[in-house]
Amino acid sequence: MDKRAREAMARAVLARSRADQTEVIVTARDSALTRFARGISNQNVAAIERAVSVRAIVDGCTGVAATNDTDEPALDAVVARAIALATFSPADPQTPTLPSGGPVQAPDGSFVDATARAGADERAQACAAVFEASERAGFWAAGYVSNDVNGMTIANSSGALASYDGTNAAANVKMTGPDSTGFAESYHADVRRIDAAALGRRAVEKARASATPRSVEPGPWTVILEPAAIGELLAYVTSHFSAQSYDEGSSFFAGRLGEQLLGPNVTIGDDYAHPLAPSMPFDYEAQPKQRVTLVERGIVRSLVTDSYYSKKLGLPNTGHALPAPNAWGPQALNIVVANGDATADELIATTKRGLLITRFWYIRTVDHKQAIVTGMTRDGTFLIEDGAIAGGVRNMRFNQSIVEALRSIAFANDATRTGGYSYSLVTPTVKIENFTFTSGTDF
Amino acid sequence: MDFDRFAARALDTASKRGAAYADIRLESARTERIEVRNGVVVSLADSTSTGYGIRALVDGAWGFAASDEFADAGIDAAAARAVAIARASASIARARVGIVPPDAYRDRFATPLLRNPADIPLGERVALLLAAEKALHVGPLIAVGRAWIDLWSSRKCFYSTSGSRIEQRIVQTGSGIQAMAVSDGDVQTRTYPGDVGLYKSGGWEIVEEAALTDHAERIAGEAIALLSAPQCPSGTVDILLGGSQVSLQMHESCGHPAELDRVMGWEANFSGTSFLDIDQLGHLRYGSPEVTIVVDNTLPQGMSTCGYDDEGTRSESSDIVRDGLLVGYEMSNDTAHAIGRSSNACVRAQGWEFVPMIRMCNLNLLPGNVPFEHLFDDIRDGIYMESNRSWSIDDRRLNFQFGCEIGWEIKNGKQGRMLKNPTYAGMTPQFWNACDAVGDERSWFAWGTPNCGKGEPIQTGRTTQAASPARFRGVNVGVGYRG
Repeated sequence: MDKRAREAMARAVLARSRADQTEVIVTARDSALTRFARGISNQNVAAIERAVSVRAIVDGCTGVAATNDTDEPALDAVVARAIALATFSPADPQTPTLPSGGPVQAPDGSFVDATARAGADERAQACAAVFEASERAGFWAAGYVSNDVNGMTIANSSGALASYDGTNAAANVKMTGPDSTGFAESYHADVRRIDAAALGRRAVEKARASATPRSVEPGPWTVILEPAAIGELLAYVTSHFSAQSYDEGSSFFAGRLGEQLLGPNVTIGDDYAHPLAPSMPFDYEAQPKQRVTLVERGIVRSLVTDSYYSKKLGLPNTGHALPAPNAWGPQALNIVVANGDATADELIATTKRGLLITRFWYIRTVDHKQAIVTGMTRDGTFLIEDGAIAGGVRNMRFNQSIVEALRSIAFANDATRTGGYSYSLVTPTVKIENFTFTSGTDF
Repeated sequence: MDFDRFAARALDTASKRGAAYADIRLESARTERIEVRNGVVVSLADSTSTGYGIRALVDGAWGFAASDEFADAGIDAAAARAVAIARASASIARARVGIVPPDAYRDRFATPLLRNPADIPLGERVALLLAAEKALHVGPLIAVGRAWIDLWSSRKCFYSTSGSRIEQRIVQTGSGIQAMAVSDGDVQTRTYPGDVGLYKSGGWEIVEEAALTDHAERIAGEAIALLSAPQCPSGTVDILLGGSQVSLQMHESCGHPAELDRVMGWEANFSGTSFLDIDQLGHLRYGSPEVTIVVDNTLPQGMSTCGYDDEGTRSESSDIVRDGLLVGYEMSNDTAHAIGRSSNACVRAQGWEFVPMIRMCNLNLLPGNVPFEHLFDDIRDGIYMESNRSWSIDDRRLNFQFGCEIGWEIKNGKQGRMLKNPTYAGMTPQFWNACDAVGDERSWFAWGTPNCGKGEPIQTGRTTQAASPARFRGVNVGVGYRG
C-alpha cells in the first residue's frame, strides 16, 4: 500500500469518526529475512502486513482499536469499537489535545529502491558468500540477511497528516570454530551497502583470533567495547531519559536535570536524521521529531516527551511518542553517541592490560535506579596486554552500573550503526575503566 | 471467512509451482489489553488480525510467505512467493531437510472455558482493574500502581497437502498488579501473582482465580517495606525458591537448552546454542534424582496446550529429564529426524505472519513429596526468594544470574526478616544437582510465561512451567551488589 493509498484510507477513516478527537495510523510493511545455519536456510521468510489503528478520545476518555481488515464494513467497525471503548474509560484530566503536526521531511537516504526490490535470490547469494567464507576456514556459520520496506501514515482530527516510507537492510554472522566464535553485523537503508562476504571474513577473523581461549580472573577490568557491545549496554539506560521515568522518580537522574552526572567527554543525543540511521521524521502522534541533546559533556540536559507528558510537565513536545496505547511513555529511539578523537586501535594501544569485547548477551537490569545491569560476553572476547591483542578469553559475566561506566569512559572516532531486535543506535567503540566481571565460563 | 476455499487455492498453487509439500495456517486473532496506571486507564485497546502463512518444500528446502491479502491474486502471489523462497533456499543448501508430519488429521480442538471473557461486560473488567489498582496506593511512597488484563483468542486452521485439516480455537487469559515504591535513591517493585501476573489457557475464571484486589494491599506494603529492608548479604548459603521463580529458572536453564534446534545450531547467532549436546542424551546427569522435567502440551490450562502444533503434529507429553538424567528434547519433525526420533509437537508460530519453529512448550517440574512449610526445616542459614526481577544466562545456558523482588532470611529452619535485592548465581548442572527437595503437589502450580523471545524475526511465545517451590544447597547469593 503506497503513500497515496494510505493517506486516502486514513482520511476516510477519520471522516467516519464522531469522537471529540480521533487519530488514525495506517501501516503497510513488506519484510523478508533469510536465516541460515550450518549450510541451510533454516528460516527463509517473507510477510506482507497492513494495519489500521484508531485512537478515539471522548470527554477526556481514550479507546484504541485496530484491525488489518481494510474492507469498508471493517473500517466502520474499528472506528465504532474505538469510540465504544472510550466510553468505558474514566476521564483523564491530563488527556492532551492531539498535535496538529507540521512540516516534516524524510532524512536523505531513508528509502532506497534497491532495498525494496531485493528478493530471495539476492538474499541467498549473500548467504552463499558467508558459507564460502566459513568453508574456507573450516568453520560453520549462522546468521541472517534481511530487507524490508515500511510505510506509515498518521492523520488526526487536529489536522495532522504525515507519511513516511523507509527501507532497512541488515545482516549478521556468527562464525563457530572448534573452541571459539566470532561475530560481525551491518545495518543500512541501502541493501547494496551490506557486504555479506566481508561480514563472513570478519567473523572468521574474530573466531580465528579468539581460538584456544584462556580463562582470566573476574574483577575490575579495563575494557574496550566495540559498537555492538556498548550499544547493547546503552540500550538499557535510554528509558531513563523518558519524561515518564523522570516524573515517576525511577530515572537515575530524577530531580537532577542539568547536573553533571557523567564524564565530561560524554555527549549523547537523539537524532532521527543521522546519516547512518535515518528514520521517521515524526513520532506516532504525527508530531515532528526534535533532535534532542540528552547529555552534553556529561551534563544531563533534556528529557524526551510526547503530547501527554508535554502537557503534564509543562515541557515542549519533543516528538517521541510511541503508538497509543502504551505503558512506557515517550522514548528516545534514535540514540547517537558522539565520537571521540582517538581511533579504536589507539584505544587498544594505550591499554596496558584489558579486554576487547565484541558483543554482549542477555543483559538485564539488576537495579533500575542505579542502572546496574548484568550480562555475558559472547562471540569474540580478547585479552589485551601491553597495547596489543594477546589471544582469546573465555566468556565472562559482568555486573556493572551503566552510569558509573559513563563516568570513566573514552570514545573512539568510528561511530557505527548497531542494533538488536528492539533497538538501533549509533555509537563509536569505547574504553571503560574498572568494568566489573563477577564470574566466568569454560567456553 | 471461508478458510477451506482459501486453503485449497493456496495449496493447489504451491503444488503447481513445484512444492513437494505445502501447508497453510489461516488465523484470526483478537487481543484485548486493559491497563490502569495510577488511576488512569492507559490502555483500553482491542485489536484483530487475520491472515495466513504458507510453508512450501522444494528440493529439500523450506520457504515461507505470509499475507493478509485474501483476494485470489493475493493468495496466488503468497503461495508463489513461498515456493520461490524455498527454491532460493535449495539453491545454496549444503544439506537437505524437509521431514513432513507422518500422519494427517482432520480434527478440532477448543480451549475449555468456564466463563467466556466475551460474556463479561467491559465496564466490569475496567471496574475490577480500577479497584485493584486503587488498593495498591497504601501510602505516598507508592509512586506507580499498575493493574492489567490481557484477553487473547484465536481461531486457527491448518491444512496440508498431506490431507490434514485441523481447526483450533485457543483462548488465553492473564492479569496482574504491580506496585512501585520510590524513595531517595531506591526503587522497589512488587508484582502479583508471580512476576508477570497469572497467565493460563482458559477464560474469565483465570482472572477470578488471581483475585487481584485481595492481594493489592499486601504487595504494596511489601514494596514499601523493601525500601528500608537490609540488603541481601553476599556469600554461599542454601536457598529456597518460590514456585514462580523455580518456573523461570527451569524456563531459562532447561526449557531453552532442550530446544533441539538450538542444540543443532539453528539459533546460534541470536538466542544461542546449548550445552545439552546430542552426545549427552541418556548420559548427562542434568540434575539430582529429585529433578524430573516433562514437556506436556496436554496440561490443563497450560499456555502451550492445544490439540496439534503448527506442523500438524498431535500434542503429547514426553520426558526431558527423568530422575535427573537428560533423556529428551523439544523437537520438530526435521530436528527429531536428525536424532532418529519423532516430533513431540513443540512447533509454534506467534501468529499467521510468522514461520513455525521449535518453541518451549509447557515444561513441568514434577512435584516432590515435601510440604512447602517443611522445605525450610533443614536450612540452618539460608534465604527464601520470590518473584523474579532480573534474569540472565549465557548463550549456551550454563552461567546464570537471577534476581528476585523479595527475600527473607532463613535461620534454623525459620523464616526471618525481609531482605531487599536478593540475587543468586550459578552454573546450570551444578545448580540442579544441588536441588535436594521439591515441594509436593499442594504447592505445585502452572505458571504462565507470556513473553518468551526467540527466532529471527523475533517471535514472542506463550508457555507455562508448572513447578513447586524447591530447595538448593550451597548457592552463591548477593551477586551484583556490594552488600
